[in-house]
Amino acid sequence: MAIPGAEAGQATRDEASTAASERLSAPLYVAWQITNECNFACMHCIEESGPGKRFRDELDETQVFAALEQMMALGVPYLSFSGGEPMTHPLFFAMVEYACERGAQLKIETNGHYLTESACARMRDLGVKAVQVSLDGASRAAFNRIRVLGEFDTVVAGIRRLRDAGVPVEINFSPTRFNVGEIGSAVDLAYELGAYSFYTGRTMYTGNAVKAWRHLEVAEDDYATFFDVLRAKSLEYRGRMRVYFHEAGLLEELRYRLREPAALLIVLPNGLVKLINALPFVCGDLRRDRLEDVWARFQSAWRDPRVANFVDELSRDPGKTRVLHQWIHL
Amino acid sequence: MKLSKYVKFREEKFGGVLFETQSEKVFTLNPTAAAVVREIAAGGDEDQIAVRVVERCSGDAGTIQHEVRSFLSDLRSKGLVED
Repeated sequence: MAIPGAEAGQATRDEASTAASERLSAPLYVAWQITNECNFACMHCIEESGPGKRFRDELDETQVFAALEQMMALGVPYLSFSGGEPMTHPLFFAMVEYACERGAQLKIETNGHYLTESACARMRDLGVKAVQVSLDGASRAAFNRIRVLGEFDTVVAGIRRLRDAGVPVEINFSPTRFNVGEIGSAVDLAYELGAYSFYTGRTMYTGNAVKAWRHLEVAEDDYATFFDVLRAKSLEYRGRMRVYFHEAGLLEELRYRLREPAALLIVLPNGLVKLINALPFVCGDLRRDRLEDVWARFQSAWRDPRVANFVDELSRDPGKTRVLHQWIHL
Repeated sequence: MKLSKYVKFREEKFGGVLFETQSEKVFTLNPTAAAVVREIAAGGDEDQIAVRVVERCSGDAGTIQHEVRSFLSDLRSKGLVED
């Protein structure tokens, strides 16, 4: 008999990762963008979400619960619901209840606008694992500029309600040229608001950011300072709040994923399943495919030469990320 | 002893995986380690778990007990189980 001990796989912010993902019977993590509708119209939104941006072919109630049923049956241990703004989805709480009651660990990724006292209490009672709120700035001016139609004070009040209800809070921060200097105070604010984790990384040139890039692009010198501050904050808050940041660029991340695909499926509001958010490749459609077949296809799709070619082309033309929404079916 | 609140266990052909969803870390388990985790999930304290694993495994009982306790200590140090 030999018990070598539990061997840790690499873990990153979004991606339940393991070197053994090809041997897994099912994904470990499903990141489900449940709607493309959003009450905000953020300058940098990679999904190009906003008011009236719901896909016409988003999954209906029967399809939503059929997909959830398959996830539970296959033992997917971890789900996230995002969007768009997931709390605008008419079935949001029914989906939360379904997943939590069947033992899945569920994270909600929200803009924080709808975090009323009753919503926070309901999430706590249902056993939501964590709520991640996007807070791109420590000031009202910076936040309201990037989060078009958003209101800093409303979101901060919502985060406080989560904390008061006892729901674990994570904060997400997207750097731009006009908020990058607030990173230190944003981390401090996250801690003051009761967050247990703070996440950030480089803002991607895709989605809405393509049109607004001249307002958003962060100079490399500013990124250097940004990551220096994060390293210091990570030490300062050690043991109290985790400060995660991805210093590597997108290309480096994708090359790593080609070697070590994460055990993660990205599900779009219409049921299409992507390899990873930062690539345009689709490997299944939950409206017609069984989840276990999608998972099998996901594993082989990472070896499709078109995927590696796309990543190679990105190294020559980083601007190719602007076409991530022109899906390529593998 | 039980799995920590944010730890999920799933059996796999190669053994199993433990997924710590707060840190999003994945731990792969060989069949023997998965058998121990199955006993943790079934409930009981460290002694009871060790006894049940010994009953299910062939080999020297003392050695198996020692290895199980060492493994449980490893899981505890990683925050994957709690008493």
